[in-house]
Amino acid sequence: MTSQLNYDISLQPDFSLLTVNLESGQQVFAEPSAMASMDPGIHLKAGFKGGIGKTLMRGLGGESLIINTFTAKDGPGEITFAPGPTGDMLHHHLEGQTLYLQRGSYVAHSEGVEIGGKWQGAKGFFSGEGLILLKASGNGDVFFNSYGAILSVDVTDDYIVDTGYVVAFEDTLQYHVTTLPGLRMAGKMKSFLFGGEGLVCRFQGQGKVWIQTRCANPFLRWIYAFRPARKNN
Amino acid sequence: MQYEIMTRPAAAVAKLSLTEGESVTCEVGAMIAMTTGLNVETTSRQRGGKGGMLKGLKRMFSGESFFLNHFTANAANQTLLIGPQQLGDIIHHELTGGTLVVQGSSWMASSNEIEIDTTWQGITSAVFSGEGIFWVKCSGTGDLFLNSFGAIYEVDVDGKYTVDTGHIVAFEDTLQFKIGKSNPSLIGSLLGGEGLVCKFEGQGKLYCQTHNLSAFGRILGPKLKPR
Repeated sequence: MTSQLNYDISLQPDFSLLTVNLESGQQVFAEPSAMASMDPGIHLKAGFKGGIGKTLMRGLGGESLIINTFTAKDGPGEITFAPGPTGDMLHHHLEGQTLYLQRGSYVAHSEGVEIGGKWQGAKGFFSGEGLILLKASGNGDVFFNSYGAILSVDVTDDYIVDTGYVVAFEDTLQYHVTTLPGLRMAGKMKSFLFGGEGLVCRFQGQGKVWIQTRCANPFLRWIYAFRPARKNN
Repeated sequence: MQYEIMTRPAAAVAKLSLTEGESVTCEVGAMIAMTTGLNVETTSRQRGGKGGMLKGLKRMFSGESFFLNHFTANAANQTLLIGPQQLGDIIHHELTGGTLVVQGSSWMASSNEIEIDTTWQGITSAVFSGEGIFWVKCSGTGDLFLNSFGAIYEVDVDGKYTVDTGHIVAFEDTLQFKIGKSNPSLIGSLLGGEGLVCKFEGQGKLYCQTHNLSAFGRILGPKLKPR
């Protein structure tokens, strides 16, 4: 059985929809609630995948503990996935490599791919974006999404991304969380405290980084101001 | 400055290419990603020493931040990716000596040769419009990057033109304007839901946004839990 999915991503970058045409017996795995529509011949099985350890690590990664399995039991069938946030969705084919995904950006994967968690150690403590990255490895297809559009950047040497905007990156890249490069130490502190950019992720080496063009957090901070004030009875 | 505006209009970003020594001033928080040959400096003043505390404070009232970030390339071929916080479009406007008046929160970045100053639009607009009471005046020669909520459309005004104050992104100062009610009677104007409008006259370019961020907030806000 082939692990290569017959897929199409449409309506990019604002309202992306993933359509997968499954061959008879073929399976696709996805985060809960991502499924938008499907042929009745496709069977859904909700479940913990990859054992209790992997499941818990995924949970720490900010994804649901459960990954749903869709199987085309009664002949070939079509299934569509649309993740929660409005935004972009991309496909990446793995052939033995490893891909790290920011929490929340995982959508679906094909057979042959393993999804697990990865403890970032102290690096992630300061980023505010989740301590754990999801790790996708093996042979097959991975689909990930974000709020806003996704841009792919080929890093050849050194590249800086605001921690809140990292969607995914290849494990051939070294990374560490740091502040922006400034001229003087004092200037650096000022940029850190007042520059609004907070912490950045510095990637070194050769590989791809995917960047989202918007973050949901500024939207949340903005809408907070419009909440009604609590009445004192 | 070399630039490219991508993924328009809902999640637009601007990719700026800087040569060695070139620099750009950005709104705080606009940086998404960059190459490592860029130096970042946060100040309350414009490059070259103009401004300072007072201008910083004025910027705060205009909906912009007290601080500005200056990015300077210290090596060749540096790229900087910038975008606004909310969903929306970005446009580039080239200034050649004139002045562009930009709605408070729409200014995103400009080259260093451009002078940015905040202007107060008077008490009437402050009381009624609830938005755009401060406008940022950009003058000089160079590149200007503006952002909006929703998409941006351009109007070449020749004669008279009326825009809701919440939909203005920017306009050339060759245009005369008057802020007023959309209807001769105040009640009619309030019932019509249009609030205050800006009546332009003359010749010049006007940039409008398709959506109004405050209007969106007023729809969502009451549906949320009280804070």
